[in-house]
Amino acid sequence: MTEKIQFDVVVVGAGMAGSTAAAIAAREGLQVAVIERGQKPGAKNYFGGALYTHALEEIYPDFFDRKPPLERPVTETGFWFLSNDGLVKATVQGGYIDNDPVDAYVALRAEFDLWWAEQAAAEGAFFIPKTLVTDFLYEDGQVIGVKTDRPQGDVYAPVVIVCEGVNNMLTQKLGLIDHDLRISKTALAVKQLISLPPKEINARLGLPDTKHGMAISVVGDVSMGMPGLGFLYTTTSALSIGVGVTLDALQETQIKPYNLLQRYLEHPAIAPLVKDGQLMEYGAHLIPEGGWTTLPKLYTAGAMVAGDAASMVNAIHWEGTNMAITAGKQAALTAVEAHKQQDFSAKSLSKYQDRLKETFVLKDLKQYRKMSAFLSNHPEFMDIYPAFLNDALGLFFTGFGKPKRKLYKRIFRSLTNRRPLFKAVGDLIAFGRAVIGI
Amino acid sequence: MSKKQTDNKRELPQVYVDDMLMSLKYFTDEQELHLSIIDPAVCQACEDQPCIDFCPVGAYRPQDGRTVQIAVQSCVECGTCRVLCPYLNVSWKNPRGGYGVSYKFG
Repeated sequence: MTEKIQFDVVVVGAGMAGSTAAAIAAREGLQVAVIERGQKPGAKNYFGGALYTHALEEIYPDFFDRKPPLERPVTETGFWFLSNDGLVKATVQGGYIDNDPVDAYVALRAEFDLWWAEQAAAEGAFFIPKTLVTDFLYEDGQVIGVKTDRPQGDVYAPVVIVCEGVNNMLTQKLGLIDHDLRISKTALAVKQLISLPPKEINARLGLPDTKHGMAISVVGDVSMGMPGLGFLYTTTSALSIGVGVTLDALQETQIKPYNLLQRYLEHPAIAPLVKDGQLMEYGAHLIPEGGWTTLPKLYTAGAMVAGDAASMVNAIHWEGTNMAITAGKQAALTAVEAHKQQDFSAKSLSKYQDRLKETFVLKDLKQYRKMSAFLSNHPEFMDIYPAFLNDALGLFFTGFGKPKRKLYKRIFRSLTNRRPLFKAVGDLIAFGRAVIGI
Repeated sequence: MSKKQTDNKRELPQVYVDDMLMSLKYFTDEQELHLSIIDPAVCQACEDQPCIDFCPVGAYRPQDGRTVQIAVQSCVECGTCRVLCPYLNVSWKNPRGGYGVSYKFG
């Protein structure tokens, strides 16, 4: 019998939540092991996407002095509404988003997550990559560690923080949620990272230099009427461009995800942006968009769960990484307190939930709890309204030399031909209710 | 009526997904498959075989008529098949530590 491997805290998964939890717990003096199944932290992670400064600085106040591997700052952001053959842009630059540092930075996860893990390692956390956690170790119904796929791979700790990502098999094993991912509340996102010379990116998107970048949500024709969104982000020398749709819609339409993405790339307004670009990487990832409605119980005796594994995603605001960071931190602080009290019971770890209630994480997830159902029930926001918006503006700016009363009638008709007016009003009210959460 | 009000859909292009998979890096586990079909007969009887369509890397392929085969080495571990197979006929687990897809950029 070999000696028991014992830590104060075991973290499962070295993503945003995991490496954050590890950093905070290690900083507070605990012995922390982070077990990551990938070749290295970040190897399994794939997102749009942008990271949010508020969360990064909350963990490392000197974040920017540490030279993080970020891509372009987001200096222009908003919505692009695609019709079948047109595009209406509603983006913002300057004004409220002209901050130093800016509020969001485009990032690539393979590089960033590795760096984020290195920061945690510098705090004293011990990383164990290429190792899969397969199950938990229990004593008297309390989690006391994890089993891994390594020979003699049991790792003991009185607190396990599960940050395993969207495929939350371990969270299910703990009994924190009694079902697998719901297909109506999970989106599959596919993305291409398309390499282009930085100058070309700047010219095509009207960015002055590589210190300017875009984060765009694309609504409409991109999802072919399915509940879903497209996106476009600028890295320094590539466009990160993809589309996510809910699994139930994918099942119903039998559309191949990569064909959907290709169709988006061939849209007359998008094709010129990616022309002659080289594919650097294609990938796919699930997004747990259920938020509050698929939130597991967040703790049990000896374990807590954070990040995608706990469905901490606000699909409308593209938030997830920041929720993971905040939740990872709160889980770690709870673990620190539990060690001080030497109490790892469910009651002790329930303080994690109390702490999270005080943050934007649970407040927002609760407020937006009706959003995923709303989007499933109101596909017209992905289809009819973006198309109408294109018609309305298109007609407005081609009405020269014609009686304007007729013009407005045509615009009005282009709405009512698609959706009766009372229904359109109802849709708006429903949207408002889903956002406000009443 | 102008064409703008018909919302006629652009056609769906057909992509050869294997070309895109060339951009991915994998550490293939030669000993153990993390993904398998539980009962091949269920796939034979499955009318739509939606896995052939929804898998984002096209790992599910028709073979000799109604047999479905999985090109496990193409899998990016997204998890879609586990929950979207109408008969939940997929045995899905994470690859062993270190194996499977390894995103270079993410």
